[in-house]
Amino acid sequence: MRDGRVTALAAGAALVVASAFVRSDFVAMLFVWVAVNVLLTASFRFVTLIGELNFAIAGFVGLGAYAAGCATTMLDAPFVVSLAAGAAAAGLVSLAFGWVTLRSKGPYFLLISFAFTEVLRLVYTQTSAIGGNSGLVGIFPPAWLTGYYPATVLALVLAGLWVLHRLENSDFGRILVAIRNNDLIVQSVGLDVHRTKVLCLAVSSAFAGLGGALLAHANNVISPGDFGFLLAVFTLAYLKVGGEGHFAGSIVGATLLTLLAQYALGFGAFEHVFYGGAIVLVVLLMPEGIVGRWAAWRARRAGAAHARGPEA
Amino acid sequence: MEIYVQLLVNSLQIGAVYVLFSLGLTLIFGVMRIVNFAHGEFFSLAALVIAVSLPWFVGFGAPLGLAFVVACVAALAVVLLLGKAMYEFGFRRFQRDMTGSFVLSIGLALLLQGVFIEVFTPASRRLPTLIEGNLHVLGAGITWQRLVLCAVAIVVAIGLYWTIASTRLGTALRAVAEDHEAAMLQGMPYRRIAMVGFLIGTLLAGAAGALLAPVTVVTPVIGSAYLIKGFIAVVVGGLGSIPGAIVGSLLIALIESVGGYYFDPSIATIAMFVIVMVVLLIRPTGIMGHA
Repeated sequence: MRDGRVTALAAGAALVVASAFVRSDFVAMLFVWVAVNVLLTASFRFVTLIGELNFAIAGFVGLGAYAAGCATTMLDAPFVVSLAAGAAAAGLVSLAFGWVTLRSKGPYFLLISFAFTEVLRLVYTQTSAIGGNSGLVGIFPPAWLTGYYPATVLALVLAGLWVLHRLENSDFGRILVAIRNNDLIVQSVGLDVHRTKVLCLAVSSAFAGLGGALLAHANNVISPGDFGFLLAVFTLAYLKVGGEGHFAGSIVGATLLTLLAQYALGFGAFEHVFYGGAIVLVVLLMPEGIVGRWAAWRARRAGAAHARGPEA
Repeated sequence: MEIYVQLLVNSLQIGAVYVLFSLGLTLIFGVMRIVNFAHGEFFSLAALVIAVSLPWFVGFGAPLGLAFVVACVAALAVVLLLGKAMYEFGFRRFQRDMTGSFVLSIGLALLLQGVFIEVFTPASRRLPTLIEGNLHVLGAGITWQRLVLCAVAIVVAIGLYWTIASTRLGTALRAVAEDHEAAMLQGMPYRRIAMVGFLIGTLLAGAAGALLAPVTVVTPVIGSAYLIKGFIAVVVGGLGSIPGAIVGSLLIALIESVGGYYFDPSIATIAMFVIVMVVLLIRPTGIMGHA
């Protein structure tokens, strides 16, 4: 496990360095999109630890993007402050949202989170101060980051992944999984289930907001349509293809599907068919996802080697 | 005074379609514990089949009314086939697995939407008026066409209610929804009953689409707009509850017509969401739901 973490760290650092040397605009954008999608998928997965599917993630990405966009374009805030504003806006709103909605669970929660995303989208279209239907324009990263924006995004995403990974393997993470398995038992030993769930959602949403802020500065333009429930469904597709049982699943799934989608772009209604088909195929044929399948294969091989005994 | 009557009439005619749509959702949830995100696609498909085949039947010289009835039968048959295929190749393996089935249904919804856009093109289609004329009651106006469609929707809803309440099949559906293991211990064929429940739900969505097709603009993504409102309706009413779905749908329709009149449709949708939040705050499983 130790060397796995070292490998991951080395690979991440190498990617950050490599991205600083990318001169093609398209490849640079690809780096950013993949990195942001990985962060969003990891955030989405974090809420699955308590057993909920959080479709409000698209709403929180939007909140982060709009908060950061407003900070940069209207207040001329420094880049770092804009990013913090994005994460904070999403995190704080999710505290209130979670406090109300996490009392219900399962289908109720996921339907409400779905509705929340759609309602936020409607709110943006109705608010002319942030550009209404046509959106917010001119969200640029600062001049001193010219050429190094993809590297910055990658580094921040890696830091985010590190935090989420640490949290998942801490006592807090164990309580989250315990809540998913049986919340009544967790309650019975005197832990505040509701508060823990709200906290889990807030952490995930803050990272989703950060992802939105990074995305806004990469695309320079944001509009309400970017943050509809399709974004949440794509995130779900990334996670399912990668495999939700393992932390690496979000990284593998988001990277693979984002790159494949770019490769096959431009077949009309293709986006729907591509992501929809990916979800259906994986759920029917490989419910544990790529990483889950890989881990099972390794475990089987290790088991076989063990049964054979040490090689003479 | 007239305006209130008019708003009430509007709510009822919108509500009738929502009721059919959300009855299907809640029935499927009740018997299979599946939140079917692809429910809107049955609705879209029925409306699309009618929009495409009606002009075709009329081209053969069939009178408009007859052509519509034939188109409706064709639409329901196609929807039933799709539902049966979805059940056999997908949902059958995901009964009682709420997360798995939901993810599957969301994939199916996306996939079908893409396929519909490819097959039917993104064009908007409008059907010719089937029944001319207006009716005036107490100063409120409604077209005969909408009144008839609304009446059919109400008859279908009552028929379903009666089926659930007092037939052998209805008793079986309720038993399975209540406790499927106890039902199986009594020797009830759970899988068959679940499939029948799923197909009835499918047909209800198809019927809603068929009834709405003549009074709206049909596009391949028409189902999505109804899906979110249908979900809000069943969440407010309580998932799995038949009376809950009816109450929830009528409430949503009332908010939509009143909010849409005094403000605008987006504000009405936002208001619906606020009401859902309030209901969930007081009753986390909806007005008539139980854990």
